Amino acid sequence: MIPALRVRRKYLFYIVAITSTIFSAVTVGMDTLITSRLSEYYPAGEVSWIYGFNTFFIGLFTTILICLFLSIRVRGRRLGSVIIDPAFDGLRFITKEEFRYHIFAGLGNAISTIGYFYVLSLMVDPSAVIPFFRVVILYLLLVEMIAEKNAPTLIEVQSSVIVTLGAILGSISISGNIEIAPLAAMFFIVNPGWVLFSISQRKLKLLRINGKPNDSINIRLWNLIFTLVFVIAIMLIHDISTGTSYIADSLRNCGEILGMVAISTSITFFAYVLYIRALGMGKASITEAVRASIVIFSIPVTFIISHIVEIPVPQSAVLWLIKAIGIILVVLGILSFALAQITAYIFIKAKSGVRIEKLIERIWKIRGIESVSAVTGNYDLIAKVRIRTLPKGYERIIRKLESIPDIYEFRWYSVLKEWSVV
Amino acid sequence: MIKAYILVRTRVGKLEEVLEKAKEIENVENISVVSGDYDIIIKVKVNDLEDLMKLTDKLHLINGIKQTVTYVIEKEISL
Repeated sequence: MIPALRVRRKYLFYIVAITSTIFSAVTVGMDTLITSRLSEYYPAGEVSWIYGFNTFFIGLFTTILICLFLSIRVRGRRLGSVIIDPAFDGLRFITKEEFRYHIFAGLGNAISTIGYFYVLSLMVDPSAVIPFFRVVILYLLLVEMIAEKNAPTLIEVQSSVIVTLGAILGSISISGNIEIAPLAAMFFIVNPGWVLFSISQRKLKLLRINGKPNDSINIRLWNLIFTLVFVIAIMLIHDISTGTSYIADSLRNCGEILGMVAISTSITFFAYVLYIRALGMGKASITEAVRASIVIFSIPVTFIISHIVEIPVPQSAVLWLIKAIGIILVVLGILSFALAQITAYIFIKAKSGVRIEKLIERIWKIRGIESVSAVTGNYDLIAKVRIRTLPKGYERIIRKLESIPDIYEFRWYSVLKEWSVV
Repeated sequence: MIKAYILVRTRVGKLEEVLEKAKEIENVENISVVSGDYDIIIKVKVNDLEDLMKLTDKLHLINGIKQTVTYVIEKEISL
């Protein structure tokens, strides 16, 4: 038997999120390559639409192929469950419950992508505005506070702001002017779209399908289907209302860029399934903050790409200094997220005559509970808790447990250090 | 497939040594050092009860472990 790799448990989420980010950095590089090739034939405004359509159109086919490949059984287990998400058990249709969230996730993805391409088409050098995409972390903090009744702790607010500012500094270019129209599009179209997209995907990932956790592979596949529908709808409206022929042009160009887009979208697939898996483990804002590390991983990618096509690489030392400061901030912010976490076990004894089956469901609903197990022995249930601070543990968990009359007694064991098999 | 929590009490001064040995045991999913009247909580995943017995036997052979209590999981809900 292979000796299993043991890592500190709290790093698992960060490993998944950062792996996803590395894949994303590669696709961003590929995007630059493909758009630069397309812009040889078409004006900048149209390139973004053509490329936007094809990422989803060709992306759907490559995704289906990858999903089929991941569905192959090897020694009784699906390939996808071994390498991507343990919850995966073959492709399936979505349930009624999922449908609503898929509508939102698809709409969010379509809005944010089209908005993003709109920003690209508005200006020659988008690098001055694109960094503001990272402000989405702060949007998410706010939305979570309202929608999930999940008030951020001081450390979460601090780290998010540090990461956001760092990411802006790390990816900004001085050469570009900041114009109002693209900036407004960024703040009012792209970012809200992305918030809708990530919050809905997190909801989807947290849903239980037939009593089992939802898997990121199916979520990604269905999200693409829904997004493509919305993108076609938006482009149709645009075509009809302004007399353009974006859809026809897109389909015509499909073959030309097929190879490169296929590679790019395949990598995107892995970036997203890992992103969705990370969303299931941590809050959307924090997942997004970890993904701000893209400013680091995109640097080597930029260098490689700059040898193939001409893209602006910062020349002045000041700009590099600013970038370096930005990267340090991002790393610091992510580290403080990673380190500020508390885990505990709670051993629970139920009163006699209480149905454990019901009690387990009730405890599972408490926010911050990561797992509950019914066990044999002195205690009836063992729950595992993951929270940011001990006071939160009191407010959110102890108080709730105290209010359940079926509990006879419980004991709290704070985890001092933890290792897990990854 | 059987999962279980094993609660471990160690002799004072032996914690680090016990941890290093416990990490090498097969089928161990998670090891947590905790504060309270136990010192370590180990989560294991084995094929059957016999494997569970073999695993606890291995734990008992580690010098420094004073006592273990095993809770077999009947049902688990987790993320």
